[in-house]
Amino acid sequence: MIERTPILNIATHAILVFGLILILVPIWLAFVGATLTLQEVNSAPIELWPGDQLWPNLKEAWVLSDFGQKFVNTLIVATGVVIGKITLACITAFALVFFNFRGRMLIFWMIFITLMLPLEVRIVPTYAVAANALTPFQTIMDWTGISWLINTVSGIEVSLEWNLLNSYTGLILPLVATATGTFLYRQFFLTIPDELVEAARMDGAGPLRFLWDVLIPLSKTNVAALATIMFVYAWNQYLWPLLVVTDRANYGLVVVQLSDLVPDQLTTGGGTPTWHLAMAATLVVMLPPIAIVILMQRWFVRGLINTDK
Amino acid sequence: MTQKLATAALVLAATAGSASAEKIKFEYWYGLTGDLGAVVAETCNRFNASQDQFEAVCVGQDGYEKAVQNTIAAFRAGKHPTLLQSFDAGTADLMLSGEFYPVTQLMADTGVTIDWADYFPGIANYYSSTSGEFFSMPWNSSTPVYYFNKDHFAKAGITEAPVTWEGMEAAFKALKASGQACSLAYAPSSWIDLEQFSMVHNIPVASNNNGYDGLDTELLYNTTLHVQHMENIQRWINEGYAMLRTQAAGKTSRDSFVEGECSVFFSSIADHNTIHKLKPAFGWDVQIIPTYEGVERHNTVVGGASLWVLSGKTDEEYKAAANYLAFLATKEEQQFLLENTGYIPVTKSTYDALLAEGFYAREPFINRDIAMKSLTWTEPTELTRGIRLGSMIQIRSEWTAEVEAALAGQKTMKEALDIAVSRGNEHLARFARTYAGKSFP
Amino acid sequence: MRRAYFKFSWIAAALVAPQLLIIFVFFYWPSAQALYWAFTLEQPWGGGNTWVGFDNFRNALSDPYYWSSVRVSVIYALATTVLAMTMALTLAIFADRQLAGYKAYRVAIIWPYAVAAPAVGLAFQFVFNPGAGIFSYINTIAPGWWDLSKYPWQAVTAIVIAGAWKQVAYSFIFFLAALQSIPRSLTEAAAMDGARPLRRMLDLQLPLLTPTFFFLLVINITDSFTDSFGIVDTLTGGGPFRATDLMVYKIYTDGFRGLDYSGAAAQSIILMLLVMALTFVQFRYVERRVHYT
Repeated sequence: MIERTPILNIATHAILVFGLILILVPIWLAFVGATLTLQEVNSAPIELWPGDQLWPNLKEAWVLSDFGQKFVNTLIVATGVVIGKITLACITAFALVFFNFRGRMLIFWMIFITLMLPLEVRIVPTYAVAANALTPFQTIMDWTGISWLINTVSGIEVSLEWNLLNSYTGLILPLVATATGTFLYRQFFLTIPDELVEAARMDGAGPLRFLWDVLIPLSKTNVAALATIMFVYAWNQYLWPLLVVTDRANYGLVVVQLSDLVPDQLTTGGGTPTWHLAMAATLVVMLPPIAIVILMQRWFVRGLINTDK
Repeated sequence: MTQKLATAALVLAATAGSASAEKIKFEYWYGLTGDLGAVVAETCNRFNASQDQFEAVCVGQDGYEKAVQNTIAAFRAGKHPTLLQSFDAGTADLMLSGEFYPVTQLMADTGVTIDWADYFPGIANYYSSTSGEFFSMPWNSSTPVYYFNKDHFAKAGITEAPVTWEGMEAAFKALKASGQACSLAYAPSSWIDLEQFSMVHNIPVASNNNGYDGLDTELLYNTTLHVQHMENIQRWINEGYAMLRTQAAGKTSRDSFVEGECSVFFSSIADHNTIHKLKPAFGWDVQIIPTYEGVERHNTVVGGASLWVLSGKTDEEYKAAANYLAFLATKEEQQFLLENTGYIPVTKSTYDALLAEGFYAREPFINRDIAMKSLTWTEPTELTRGIRLGSMIQIRSEWTAEVEAALAGQKTMKEALDIAVSRGNEHLARFARTYAGKSFP
Repeated sequence: MRRAYFKFSWIAAALVAPQLLIIFVFFYWPSAQALYWAFTLEQPWGGGNTWVGFDNFRNALSDPYYWSSVRVSVIYALATTVLAMTMALTLAIFADRQLAGYKAYRVAIIWPYAVAAPAVGLAFQFVFNPGAGIFSYINTIAPGWWDLSKYPWQAVTAIVIAGAWKQVAYSFIFFLAALQSIPRSLTEAAAMDGARPLRRMLDLQLPLLTPTFFFLLVINITDSFTDSFGIVDTLTGGGPFRATDLMVYKIYTDGFRGLDYSGAAAQSIILMLLVMALTFVQFRYVERRVHYT
């Protein structure tokens, strides 16, 4: 930083600490909940200081939820989503910002609209697609008569099937379909000065070279931010994996198991409110995203890149 | 009750051909979570270990509504399970779609013997057609009771837990006089305050015998004794005998009871097990829910969920599922369920056997069978068979929202119930339109 | 958008194709089916439907409780966005000063985003519970004042705070990343020109932040309409008496729970149109003021 005025420093610290406390209170409470017994966690008023049951609760939650393989699975899925999302977002936004063609605004809007319909609303038909990802093409071929044509000409019956249930692909692909990354990259690419592009073109660089040599190195901090967000987003999925994966032993994800520890509100009573186990599981499940956040910090460095000329 | 698993095995051996190690699998999607879900998973393990022909693949769906929703999604894609655990409110659509295999027929077709007459009528009627054919298999059944603090009652000089509302009010007054600030921890519950209340008083919730006789049903509960009951509850809260105890108000009624804050709360018998685990620091017990004087008491009905067999699966899967259901109905497996949860037995022979063994005479099961008394108080009448309404979830939530508003002083209870009824009727009309031309089987 | 540089070629098509393909298969195809239900009365288990045209829309729009749902959704969206972005920007600007311990601050402030939705609701129950939570201390001073079962505005406040909580972390990450990519040479030059920190912030940092600001504005508002289901479900259940019945929550309870697919689909279309309209307004009127270069 440039100046080091003591007052400003103190003010900075004060504001950051205050913000930090506000933000971390719920997490602290979750931590405390994970250290209590069944009776303590259900009694009022709420405990503000931890008890001594952290280790037993963690062990029990881990065993109950069979977390081992699930951590690996979730890691694979989250990594897949990050790689897929960043790649897709980057190349799509690049095409939309730097290439001149009619309909690029329309395409951007078509991608953007995917943010506006929550998954819960479309989960039933999306499942049908996951059960057979080639359904759209099959249906189109049937409607347009292409299937009939192929059938009469060659005697082959067209029956496309690609079952994505209980697979990593089925877990990753639908999550990659949203627009946040593309929108972010669009914003970033729009800030690239014209001079930079002109300079690259005068050097004889084609679009792909420009992308690879100039844009991608410049977008490091964006990539770090997006990767962090996407990893956590994919890590915390519970609605879609619950539906798509019935082979929990091999493909189950962690947060689905977390929801299983929480008693269902709709039962007419009977479930033991094991909040202490749910909180212990929460702590465990939180660790990898936190680790990724810490890891990504290296990339959140002040850019030494000089974009002035 | 006799389950002739041997017969089934014989039939299977004859038809299946090879006695290979390849087990016939079927999928079962259940909704219970937490420790109850663990019990379900354990029954599957026990079934798989008890024989080597079939394998139950049981998948927890993190809640009843998600179980139903996910099954619908899978059903539309042709990837659904054979067995589904569905809660009461989720079954009207399934029934009208006809996409299920009535278990009576399933057992007959697969040669598995079940003694249907062994089921308690109060339970059987809820799950069956008017001709007595079971649609789904009862399994985790419960009924409402109220829990009371014996120490508080003793201190107030109440010797017997009241079974009438007038007696309850007298008990409240006595409790207050003895220094108890809160007698009743009240949480609005459509299941208890509306549905079971109407059952036990033999009054209708809706026309068409609570929806059994047709889809052109209308709600009637704003014209029955229910109105007066809700007004009484409001009065008791205003007069300080009862307190609203929900999550939003600060603590649930169960927590309030367990802490010793309030002396009475209403809940399902399934909570009997939970409360034991929470170890309240006082003596407590359960009693059947009260009725108003001058009205003949009738039976209450079950809540909980039942197991539905869905259509569109192979014969082998149906055989496997039938065997699993028969397995669950044996005395040993019912006892396993009862020992690990607060649920109650569904068959008479199991109940009699447990009584004879002194099961209900030892902790923590003492007096849990009072729920059976409530369930079997009378033979079910046309109004106490149960409730078969579409859009049940919406009807319940309209009732809850309006009652909450009334209790918060925003409108009178009668207005609230009138609004809830009219909005509920709109839901019913849409439901009828959606299924135009169909009727409950 | 800006003047583009490369002429359209097969390269551009190839670059755009993968994302278009994926959203076609996994979004547009299923959504078309789901939205078709809005014009029929759909039976959940299949088995047929009846065409009813715009009836479902008329039903929703003539329901007074639907309009209160719309109103509380808009209030929620604006309140959470303003709260979250203000806090996030303030924290980011101060964290950008890179004082001692700033790395720890960075990690800790991002932490909330890593907490899974079921757990967030749970933790906030502990905070807001009138009898036993942190807020119950208010009740020791003024008994009965904080009561989520009685006062709708309190329930709305609770979900706004819980909703903003996660969004602060999200917005903070992006603000900080944007601040960090402002070249040091620029800030040094400004400092040498005699600009004090506050002036530097107003004249230099904020304008350069506008692209990120716009991104976060749009995303925050959109997410608070479409992603807020979990918070309502665990904190208030839509209550008291429907006071926190956000549009997306209503869609969930009607469609997912109540199995009214058609009503939920009609409500979803209305929600989508509302969000599209809001987004369009933002792109049209707010993006003007964004300094891209």
